[in-house]
Amino acid sequence: MKKIGFILGIAVTGWGILALSDNLTTPIYFAIPEGWPKPHYNFKQNPLTEEGFQLGRQLFYDPILSRDNTISCSSCHLQATGFAHVDHDLSHGIEGRIGTRNAPALINLAWNKHFHWDGGVNNLEVQALNPIENPTEMDEKMENVIAKLQQREDYKLSFKKAFGDEKINSQRILKALAQFTVKLQSSNSKYDQVKRNETTFSHQEANGYALFQRHCAGCHIEPLFSSDSFENNGLPVDATLQDYGRVKITGLEKDALNFKVPTLRNIQFTFPYMHDGRFKTLTEVIKHYNTIQPNQHTAATFSKPMQLSDKDRVDLVVFLQTLTDKAFLFNPRYAYPKK
Amino acid sequence: MLPDHTDQDMSKTLLTVVLWLCCITVQAQSKDSVTVNFKLLFDHKPLQLKQSYVTVNKDTVTISTFKCYVSDIAIQYTDQTVHYEKNSYHLLDSEIPNSMLIRFPQVKEKVISKVIFKIGIDSITNTSGALSGDLDPVKGMYWAWQSGYINLKIEGQSPSCKTRKQQFQFHLGGYLPPYNALRTKVIPVTIANDNTVNIGMDLAVFLAEVNLAITPAVMTPGKTAMELADISAKMFYSE
Repeated sequence: MKKIGFILGIAVTGWGILALSDNLTTPIYFAIPEGWPKPHYNFKQNPLTEEGFQLGRQLFYDPILSRDNTISCSSCHLQATGFAHVDHDLSHGIEGRIGTRNAPALINLAWNKHFHWDGGVNNLEVQALNPIENPTEMDEKMENVIAKLQQREDYKLSFKKAFGDEKINSQRILKALAQFTVKLQSSNSKYDQVKRNETTFSHQEANGYALFQRHCAGCHIEPLFSSDSFENNGLPVDATLQDYGRVKITGLEKDALNFKVPTLRNIQFTFPYMHDGRFKTLTEVIKHYNTIQPNQHTAATFSKPMQLSDKDRVDLVVFLQTLTDKAFLFNPRYAYPKK
Repeated sequence: MLPDHTDQDMSKTLLTVVLWLCCITVQAQSKDSVTVNFKLLFDHKPLQLKQSYVTVNKDTVTISTFKCYVSDIAIQYTDQTVHYEKNSYHLLDSEIPNSMLIRFPQVKEKVISKVIFKIGIDSITNTSGALSGDLDPVKGMYWAWQSGYINLKIEGQSPSCKTRKQQFQFHLGGYLPPYNALRTKVIPVTIANDNTVNIGMDLAVFLAEVNLAITPAVMTPGKTAMELADISAKMFYSE
């Protein structure tokens, strides 16, 4: 009896060690900058690991997600511009098809409750279904993506490293992508350094910051520079697009022309601005807020046109440039994965 | 002192235990289980896909797709106790006969009085990110652009529909108030001899209350989806 017990014990231990070594993943700690609110993302449902993050990164940069293998997530979300789509008012997908909105920046997504300009997506993990299956973006079916990935030995190995075995399904693809995108954290701009007392604002920046706090901070709430809510900022509807934003999701009249308040982090590089990319420069954006008359539909915090002097407008732009985070824009861990 | 066993004795004992365990498992699956059988019907008779039927409104219809989520299934006994199924999410799909059968353990001394379930997916699950199994978004029951599950999908054709290919498409769902299309159903049942509870899903009941000429399609959450969800709940009955 002892002998059997001993053999059994060895076998169980051995199997345990084997199984463990097979599933060995490296946890990633998600750091919350001091003074920031708690992230909204539920990390318990998708514990971050180096292997999961790297798989997500591989998928993010791989055009295999699109029907004709030409478009990747990074086609419209470029790191150097805060993972936004520069130079195009409306983002475009495969075969030059043009969508109806400007691809938003991907920054500090762990704190977002809603995704897309109309907030139609309720969880970061299911966001990626949209670009993959939207006919004007990647125009692919998730089933085909799974089938394509299953043909690739390198991906089988990556899925095994991240999830313990070679199984590839939509859940694993989406969770891996979320591990990468949720880690796109920006918290080391000059603004952050000033807040940490590591440096100080110039006179111009300090004046711009004061103007920002008076006129903009009601919706672009620090430190995320967004409220993660939906507001009408007084933009007239584009006659050709007829995009009324949030109302399409809620069906509620009061949400007509409401769009998500975007973060202003790295705003210097995420041009063009607004949901339809109608403004090319920050100067144009500020001109809009400087002159637009609020009405009963516009945001409650938007009480009157800013009416800033030319000098103040320049200072405000100078402040907004302190939200640029080079450590984020050039972080090698977020870049195209080199083999 | 423990009795002195030989290795051979030990092996025999182990084998017996293993075989005994196997027996229990097999038994649990056959005799001691109850099957809730969701049956797709048209006017109390089994519905065949692609076959023509005539509704009380004199619409000639054929059904091409029927998919429905049932969740949080519970069995209530005559003594008022309730057995809840854990992680209870099932996609009933007319193309997959096995998906219509849901098994429960049978408690010997108890008599089943009611089957309780929800038609659709609750709001917490709707916001829980990427899920798998019956809740995998590749099952064709998920809206990507407006995150959320389609609770019930009925598609088919009828000359009454002035649409392309005379199609009607009802994709009923939505979890955000005031348009939460989830419906709870409590159905008093009697158990058949073969330990099966039959629950009919009668499309004749649904189509009797839908005006196909006026409303041939619902593809988003909202007021119409809410009305049709109310109607759809009526088509479930003890059969």
